[in-house]
Amino acid sequence: MKDKHIIGLLEDTPFSSISEVDLETIKAHAAECGECEKAFAAAHLSSLLLHERTVETFEPSPFFQTRVMAHLRERQAANETWSWKGIWRATGALASSMVATVAALAVLTFFVPASPTTSELLEGTTARNAYSAEEVILNPSDLDEQSSDGFVLTTLYDAPEDTAK
Amino acid sequence: MELARSARAGDESAFEEIMRRYSPRVFHFASRFFRQRSLVEEAAQEVFLKAFTELDNFEGRGSMEGWLTRITTNTCLNLLRSAKRRPELTVSDLTEDETSWLDSNMGAAAAERHQSSERSMVAADLTERVLQTLSPDDQLVLTLIDGEDNSVKDVVKMTGWSESKVKVQAFRARRRMREAVEKLLARKPSAPVRA
Repeated sequence: MKDKHIIGLLEDTPFSSISEVDLETIKAHAAECGECEKAFAAAHLSSLLLHERTVETFEPSPFFQTRVMAHLRERQAANETWSWKGIWRATGALASSMVATVAALAVLTFFVPASPTTSELLEGTTARNAYSAEEVILNPSDLDEQSSDGFVLTTLYDAPEDTAK
Repeated sequence: MELARSARAGDESAFEEIMRRYSPRVFHFASRFFRQRSLVEEAAQEVFLKAFTELDNFEGRGSMEGWLTRITTNTCLNLLRSAKRRPELTVSDLTEDETSWLDSNMGAAAAERHQSSERSMVAADLTERVLQTLSPDDQLVLTLIDGEDNSVKDVVKMTGWSESKVKVQAFRARRRMREAVEKLLARKPSAPVRA
């Protein structure tokens, strides 16, 4: 032990718990080792300081309980208010979203025009084509030069069945 | 347990009785961590507010005192964590009284702790200042084990930490505290270090 540094021993146990035997060994080593001597002095002072800290203890003031109870009631009241506010806010959000949905549905029902039916759409297609299927088949030369193969195919296959016949 | 049950059921007088019985213990414990009365009161108040909201978790397996001590430990630790940590303490930061305390306690005679209460206060202030340079966890273990002479097992119960964590924390905290004091002594112009 005499040749071994004692710093580890100082850190392993509280200074006040070091046994007399160990303390003697530490002192003997510290007398010959400057580094351990400093460490020993500092550990000793640390221990003294930590023990001196226990001298003062505060007692609860006579109003302590009253103050805590007041704080507790305040906190409970705040929690209650908060929960009511929460319910009110949630209800308000739900109601306003329902009103918005009803309004949107009313607008869609009464103001937006009805969508065209399938036959109306087909009529529209035929009207847009200046040529009938018969004309395309029988008089291909009458077609505009610019008419593409796609246009011919659309005219033939998209035309209503009775027109094609 | 009866008191806890009544308090849980909303009986305010039962909770007031709990406070009346245990507040001296809570104050004593919190005084180990804070030197200002206002901080001790703040910690104690927080402890009882927390205890009230957590009464449902008190199953009565251990003592009410042990349960409150654990809440106090954690509350103090949280308050220490929220406090700003001080940078390294230097000799120039020390008051005249603190320097004088260090001077007179570096000799071998200092081993005998017969000091006036005034000088003890100076030492307590100095301890506070040195501890504030360490982490809250270091402060906690040093105060509980080296200052209050609690065993590792006691600290395990108070903090809820594992035994190995307490041991390792104490080992490292001692080293850091010793190094902080060593630096303080090294900077003193006349520092007789022999104990």
